[in-house]
Amino acid sequence: MDPQVTVIIGAGPAGLTAAYELSKLKRPTLVLEEQNMVGGLARTESYKGFYFDLGGHRFFTKAPAVESMWREVLGADFLRRPRLSRIYYNRRFFYYPLKPLNALIGLGLGRSLLIGLSYLRWQLFPHRREETFEQWVTNRFGKRLFETFFKAYTEKVWGLSCAELRAEWAAQRIRGLSLKTALISMFAKPKQTIKTLIEEFHYPRLGPGMMWQAVKNHIERDGSGVRLNCQVIAIRRNDNHIESVVISHDGRLEVIPGSAFVSSIPVNEFILKLDPPPPADVIQAAKSLRYRGLLVVCLIINDAHLFPDNWIYIHDPEVRVGRIQNYKNWSPDMVPDSSKTSLGMEYFCTPGDGLWNLSDADLIGLGKSELERIGLALAVKVEDAQVIRVPHAYPIYDAGYSDHVALIRRFLDGLENFQTIGRNGLHRYNNQDHAMMTGLLAARNLALGERNDLWSVNTESEYHEEALLEDTAVEEALARVFTKLDRIAFALALGTVAGATLFLATLFLVIRGGDGVVRILQLLRQYFPGYRVTPVGSVIGFVYAFASAFIGGWLFAFLRNAAMFFYMAWLERKAQRGLMRRIFDFL
Amino acid sequence: MIDERKELEKIILTRLVRLNAKIHGLVTGIVLGLGLFIATNWLVLKGGKSVGRHLSLLGQFFIGYRVSFLGSFIGFFYGFICGFTVGYSIAWMYNWIADLRNRKAQ
Repeated sequence: MDPQVTVIIGAGPAGLTAAYELSKLKRPTLVLEEQNMVGGLARTESYKGFYFDLGGHRFFTKAPAVESMWREVLGADFLRRPRLSRIYYNRRFFYYPLKPLNALIGLGLGRSLLIGLSYLRWQLFPHRREETFEQWVTNRFGKRLFETFFKAYTEKVWGLSCAELRAEWAAQRIRGLSLKTALISMFAKPKQTIKTLIEEFHYPRLGPGMMWQAVKNHIERDGSGVRLNCQVIAIRRNDNHIESVVISHDGRLEVIPGSAFVSSIPVNEFILKLDPPPPADVIQAAKSLRYRGLLVVCLIINDAHLFPDNWIYIHDPEVRVGRIQNYKNWSPDMVPDSSKTSLGMEYFCTPGDGLWNLSDADLIGLGKSELERIGLALAVKVEDAQVIRVPHAYPIYDAGYSDHVALIRRFLDGLENFQTIGRNGLHRYNNQDHAMMTGLLAARNLALGERNDLWSVNTESEYHEEALLEDTAVEEALARVFTKLDRIAFALALGTVAGATLFLATLFLVIRGGDGVVRILQLLRQYFPGYRVTPVGSVIGFVYAFASAFIGGWLFAFLRNAAMFFYMAWLERKAQRGLMRRIFDFL
Repeated sequence: MIDERKELEKIILTRLVRLNAKIHGLVTGIVLGLGLFIATNWLVLKGGKSVGRHLSLLGQFFIGYRVSFLGSFIGFFYGFICGFTVGYSIAWMYNWIADLRNRKAQ
């Protein structure tokens, strides 16, 4: 074993991207993966020729490096697919993002009227404090709409009551729900970009696993290694230097030395595998981090066409399924036989809870019965099924997580030859592209000596498609346009210039003479008693013009600032409502 | 994102706008120049016994200006110069006073 090798733990998007980048930079790597396939959370499981994507991974990014890697690796297999995802509620489909007319027809006139009245009531008398997700949404849409379209699904995903979910969490997840977005929308309406994200997306022909298998092949061609079925047992360190990883492979223990180590496994697992263990408070922080799991009940149905959506959000609180993927609509090649349909019934749960502990047979039974109950297909048409369990699907942002992560981060920053990457490595709700960025930057830190801060990936960059301009340019432009006009300064400036103008005009006429214009200018006496076209009159004129323009200027600046404030508030509210209509993309 | 939002709000609510004196001058100049140009030509096209009796009084200030087609160009020139001076002066003075007040406040 080459002791100069970089050992990467985890062959998900982050780990494989790091290895891919390092292999391009001619640095040997060894990737260790616990599963029997690569891809991590973005792997694609196959069963009897059917491909199942865990969670549904749309490929879109604002990072050019990630986009170019996708294109480089996938080539012609990088498909552009139309998107349709609707909400299924009360045996009806609702467009997603919500469309008012469609919702009105679907819910019926009486219910829509009640929703409208509830909206008005909450607009007039909102919650004074927006501390919970429930209050936050209610203030924007009314209680009834919240209960109809937001409550059930959000609670299914997080397993928490909306009254317990913090409002800050909603604001954090809904990227782009910012004042900046609202203000930019005033200047530009990038409909083309919105259309691209809402109506279309890119996707590998055989699911995201195809991408990661191709990356694995590339890495191996370049002389580096990817070892599957390797479970990390311990990570040995000498003070702040990691020396080796102990793995279990085929029942045998093996020690893998390396010069540098990169890990994308859940950061709490990493901490708990360290030998010698870190300080007790770090261990306690690691044990406090929590994850939401995902169960995918994969059903093969003897029916060519069930529904046209890529996926459906199931809001019906009577069933436990949260989302249903229809894989042939993601890519036709995801099914080997076009007369059949493969579905992924997604159940959000917590590892160890009642749902998680159900046997595969019970879960398949549940999936089949719920599919029939919501009226999408008959249970008898299901001809085969399997269950996939993802224990660490979503890091949970609970009340204490940020303190725990900060403590762990301080400890990890002290390890001189180690970097943690990826969604679970950073305990951050990153999408695939952000996870890849952390891998890419980690590789550059190692090979090129760069000092990229991996913890800051996805804290600054935006998902909101309205961001078209450079950040600094945007802030500069916004600051110029929307900042307050100094009332006194503006009044003084206007007064001085107006006073000086009348003063000079009067003096000019006094010196030059000329009856006609003198008569006309003297008409100002109607407003300015005592004013005349004389040397003294020019001074009186200055005082009058200064005073009038001062008052006018002050009033203008005051009204302009007030109007701008109300306009900003209105824009922000409008942007929030617009983004809330698409909230389920962000959960 | 919340931090970024607060930061932007802070900028918008606490910072004072600075006016670009040149642009302010240019815009005021164009508006005034065009205004006089159009007003002059309007009267020329309208015609009548005594064309632009009142407007021609501007000739007292703007030497060479008359209510005629040629005069409209001269008027545009004068209007632009005056407008630019007024607009520029207001913006320059505003920035100067705002800076002064801001420094004092700090």
